[in-house]
Amino acid sequence: MSGYIHSLHSMRLVICLALIFVIPLAAFPDEPGVAVHLDISKAGPRKVETETERRIAADYRLAWDNLAQALASGTSAPLDALFVGPAREWLQQSVSSQQRSGLSTRYSNQRHQVRAIFYSPEGDVIELQDTAEYQTQIMDGQKQIHDERRTHNFVVLMTPAADRWVIRQLFEVPQL
Amino acid sequence: MKNLSGLPLLTVLVGVLAGLTVPARAQELNVPHSVIAGEGASVSSHGNGKATFYLVGPGVSQKREISLGDEIRIAPTDLEHAGRYLAILCAGDCRSAEFSVIAAEPSTVAFLVHPSRVPVHQADAISGVALLFDHFSNLVLTSTPVNFVVKSPKENLFSKPITTQNGEAWFRTSSGKAAGPVTLTASADRLSAQRVVQQVASEPCNLRIKAAETPHGIEVQTEPVRDCAGNPVSDGTIISFTGADSAGRISIDAPIKGGIARARMAVPEPVVISAASGVTIGNELRIGKKP
Repeated sequence: MSGYIHSLHSMRLVICLALIFVIPLAAFPDEPGVAVHLDISKAGPRKVETETERRIAADYRLAWDNLAQALASGTSAPLDALFVGPAREWLQQSVSSQQRSGLSTRYSNQRHQVRAIFYSPEGDVIELQDTAEYQTQIMDGQKQIHDERRTHNFVVLMTPAADRWVIRQLFEVPQL
Repeated sequence: MKNLSGLPLLTVLVGVLAGLTVPARAQELNVPHSVIAGEGASVSSHGNGKATFYLVGPGVSQKREISLGDEIRIAPTDLEHAGRYLAILCAGDCRSAEFSVIAAEPSTVAFLVHPSRVPVHQADAISGVALLFDHFSNLVLTSTPVNFVVKSPKENLFSKPITTQNGEAWFRTSSGKAAGPVTLTASADRLSAQRVVQQVASEPCNLRIKAAETPHGIEVQTEPVRDCAGNPVSDGTIISFTGADSAGRISIDAPIKGGIARARMAVPEPVVISAASGVTIGNELRIGKKP
């Protein structure tokens, strides 16, 4: 009898673990590294067209992928495509600074819940709020000096370039 | 090991726990809750001995050796970008604490205005967005009133203070009655940005044409083309002249030049000539066959 109860508990545990880990993954299919969900329902005054929404979500996802590559590898080349202005400047400085100090930063399992909160009347700037969850590991050479998985809040300004949306401002705030 | 085995278990346990907790307390870090961009900060640690201090944040990844217990100064130049910063202290194991850098006072107004040229009398045709940035190009999220003024030499079109939300404030207004430059100003406290939009005539109104026969055909031209408010329609606006006779139609597009559009039509008489621009159609001229 006790063996039966024990196996029932084990089964419940397995189901709970499956719910915890599988359901979030199912919400972001086909995006193993960086997952972005963009909500445009609160954007205004201009309506975000479907194609624009798709483009912004894709470029934002790629931008975070590139950011992670740059800070993990210590090279700024991945920043070239999707970061401009102040965002590009501080990321470039981060890469250079990491090279000097021998540090590297790894971002993994990124999940971004992004809300568009402002889309200018003529469509030349969009402001996003990103509630992101990811793991951050900071390495000094081969030694890990920091490891955390937590929620981060970002404010983002993106502007349209010739064939893509680029990030002009990206900074973390304590709360949105 | 031999001596240790002789100690009561409780003593050993206390000793081990004490050994574990002392270094942790020694590395305790005190950081400020938040710092204004471009201002320095100090971090304090407790304990004795050497440790490695790391500062990781937007634009900075620093590593330096410090003596535990000493105040750790962070230079203003290392805290110019708004965002989250991590202070990490390692002496054996590592401890971390975080703090935020927030934007300083606004020092720049980015003012986006559309369009650069606008026809008169258009509803909600002019829009402006103001974004406030500090000296280090950080977006200022603190709510700040921005006063928008739109005026031409002849009329005030719009004036309203709007408080920024999430760093931006915006407006939309209609264009005025008269062609000419319109000045748009966005000001926040001592800061100000100005843009100019050119108001141009709207669609042509009451197109009137006249014709004259010449040896080379019929020369047709408009009277000075104006919009419904009397503003001269911009040079370059296309006027389409159409001549229709029993054989069919001929159409010539001519740009307005000096306020008037001209065309020469080599068509057999009798012919009916008309002009149009956009949705506006002018008068018809009937030119009969010469006797």
